[in-house]
Amino acid sequence: MTTTTPRSLKERLTESEQLFRETGVYESDLTMKETDPVTFEVLFTRLLQTLTNAREVALSISASPSTREQGEIIFGLFTAEGDAVCLSTGLMIHVHTMSRAIKWMINNEYETKMGFHEGDYFFNNDSFIGGGHPSDQMLMTPFFVDGELEGWIGGLTHVTETGAVEPGAMGSSFTSRFAEGLILPCMRIAANDELFYDFDVLVDRGVRSSISWLADNRAKLTGNLIIREKVKELLAEVGLDMYRKVCREYIEDTRRATHEKVRRSLFPGRYREVAWRGVTIKNLERLMHSPCELVVSREGRLSLSFEGLPSAQRQPFQSTLPLFEGMLFNGLIQNIFYDLRYNDGTFLAIDLHVPYGSACNPDNIQLPTTLWGPAYGGMQACSQAVSRAYFAKGYREEVHASGPLTSGNLAGGKDQYGRHFGSQCFEFASSGMYATSFMDGLDTAFSDFNAEGDMGDAEIWEQQMPQVWLAREIRKDGGGFGKFRGGNGIHSLYLIPEGIEMEIGAFGSPPIFSTAGLMGGYPAAALRVWIGTGTNVRAQIEAGNPLPNTEGFDRPVPQFVEDVEADWHCVLGQNVPTASLEPFSLFSVVSGDGGGYGDPLLRAPVDIVRDVENGLSGSRVAADVYGVVVTVGTDGGVAYDKDATESLRAQHRRERLQRGVPAAEYKSRERERLISGDIPEPARAMYRDVMQISSIWAAEFRSFWDLPEGFEVSE
Amino acid sequence: MTLPIQTDVEAKRDRVRELIEGVLSLDQLADLQRETKTGDRVEIVLAIEQARVSWDDRILVPLQESLYVVERSDGARVVKCYCGQEFGDYRLNWKEQALVYERHPQDGVVFQPNKGADPVWQSLREFYCPGCATQLDVEPVPAGYPFVFNFLPDLGD
Repeated sequence: MTTTTPRSLKERLTESEQLFRETGVYESDLTMKETDPVTFEVLFTRLLQTLTNAREVALSISASPSTREQGEIIFGLFTAEGDAVCLSTGLMIHVHTMSRAIKWMINNEYETKMGFHEGDYFFNNDSFIGGGHPSDQMLMTPFFVDGELEGWIGGLTHVTETGAVEPGAMGSSFTSRFAEGLILPCMRIAANDELFYDFDVLVDRGVRSSISWLADNRAKLTGNLIIREKVKELLAEVGLDMYRKVCREYIEDTRRATHEKVRRSLFPGRYREVAWRGVTIKNLERLMHSPCELVVSREGRLSLSFEGLPSAQRQPFQSTLPLFEGMLFNGLIQNIFYDLRYNDGTFLAIDLHVPYGSACNPDNIQLPTTLWGPAYGGMQACSQAVSRAYFAKGYREEVHASGPLTSGNLAGGKDQYGRHFGSQCFEFASSGMYATSFMDGLDTAFSDFNAEGDMGDAEIWEQQMPQVWLAREIRKDGGGFGKFRGGNGIHSLYLIPEGIEMEIGAFGSPPIFSTAGLMGGYPAAALRVWIGTGTNVRAQIEAGNPLPNTEGFDRPVPQFVEDVEADWHCVLGQNVPTASLEPFSLFSVVSGDGGGYGDPLLRAPVDIVRDVENGLSGSRVAADVYGVVVTVGTDGGVAYDKDATESLRAQHRRERLQRGVPAAEYKSRERERLISGDIPEPARAMYRDVMQISSIWAAEFRSFWDLPEGFEVSE
Repeated sequence: MTLPIQTDVEAKRDRVRELIEGVLSLDQLADLQRETKTGDRVEIVLAIEQARVSWDDRILVPLQESLYVVERSDGARVVKCYCGQEFGDYRLNWKEQALVYERHPQDGVVFQPNKGADPVWQSLREFYCPGCATQLDVEPVPAGYPFVFNFLPDLGD
């Protein structure tokens, strides 16, 4: 009699990956799908329903507005080797990030050193292992059948406080990973389905508002438990062999369907887009581009390269590779693969090149990766490239400009009840949507990473972070101008009340246009923070006067700045490290707006009339940008003058022809600027860096400007 | 009286035409979005676009708003604007044949200082068609950044 030793998970994972490398397929056949397609679909629907139900239950356990109201939560079912089989609705960024964490445990001897048992829960918020940044916190649990580990369940939420140097987890000042707060790499925090008391103590003493983290742990544990029991019920019903087979087929089926969807939806060719981010930390200022090259083959292969990314450095506007993968697949799933199964099959079908050592794949785990930088931009650039591929294939109903650079505020201190607090305000989950090829972007209703588009109730946020909202309004003229305009984000004006201690700041953008337009549309407006100290707001309240409540439209400075006597400080962009502010100070932030689509002179005049009527745009923008002459009647009714509009638009076109110079002439002038070194430092720093780490990008740069081999941008 | 019978194919073509012309209702648009993508849309769009333009060169692919790759009677494949302006070989970036205007990002004409980028960081590079002055692209870029070559279609040559 012979006995066989069970293979370790590491051996199984190695075999699985090797098989895929050698054959290019995850499962050699789709027998179940082909022989019994009804059962095949019914079983998947049951899994999906189980995961989504668990998510709904978990939402109601969470104490965090970002989880509870904005739905920053997702659950997944994974194979024993860690491949995602099925995911709930929610944060599609994490289709693959939890998979990475499970595989990391398997590859790093957790099976032998820690042991895996049913009822164990492993916590991870180390984004070099999996996840997005320390705010993205996952809880994973294995499940067993007849003593053998058969699969994993994972749940992930975005938690608004991590005990970082700045409150609210996402500070723009971090120059080291150690500024980001508690980072815990795949730690067992529960056994026998019970959370460890000492882990609760660690969190309670380690972060400012521990309730979000602790309640989210309970939400995820509950969701995982629900899923585990339901999956085991299903397993008992269908048998182990069928369960294993369908799980592999779901992934393989998605892989094949991904290729087919690309082949049928996108025009073959090479697409290039670029998005922008930057560093605003003193003495580290530099622009960062995210150059995306998308290649669609005739056979339906989709390849993405980000050759030319800047290098990873000691600054927070960068990401880990798992996060960048997550962002890209988030964009691809929402833009192309929305009608396929959400699992690792899509990941297996796409070729991705992200240079090691770059700002989206750092070679040093001690670097901060809090704010993603070119990873977020890369996803948006990829989405624009996909839009062009749809356009060429005729599917214009899928074409859109770039989504918003979501951005918001952070705060911490002691609230009116004497409690320490720290949080980020997640109202930016409902920023301005991109313009599409057929309609304006929705105002205050969109973010690329969260499909809920919900800003949460201000009153609930005030319980979490006790600034008082004086204004929460649709931003005026924030969305990129175009034939269809980008959606406007939120403008919020906060008052620091009496009786609390508060440090407040913001994160988001360097002083650039916050997101790109497409095919002649303008980019979205730049972001701004206005901070007013020494204000007369207290006197205004005591006098019963109206409080400032709007930025107004089309003004050199916002209306609230004109309305309030204060020592006003404006920060271009929206990166403001948290700092204490005295009571009655004002702090104004914007959430991000969508990019515009198409030539603004082709916009339907009635759409401009509507924007003027709704107080979202003014007559100056109507005339100067859109060439529409708006009239306001004595009754306040808004209309446009057809003849005057035609005449003005013709004049705008004549002026374009007069001021535009032939591209060759423009290039010659720009070339001289480069040679003479007349380039501002944020761009110079980027060119020097990128040309040093990417000979390919450097060669293209020199070729475009007809510069000699060896040319370097001067210091 | 006999009403003309509209076939599914004709109805679909009408919807796509309305989509291109920007007059399709959102309900019908949602129906289009829900349809399975079968890969044959490009033929419908090419026929619609060919009927819209005033010139005879055969459209091979709509490149973007207002621009097409066409095959001329001499066999050359070039980028061509809706207005008839040509931008040269499609394998080269059409932007090289456009008019370019670099706009100060806070010039108060498009963006007020309160909404524009810091000119040290970025400006706006606007590309116009020399024939009809249509604004074909806007690149928010720093000084010295190469033109982005957005799309090189695979036409099998």
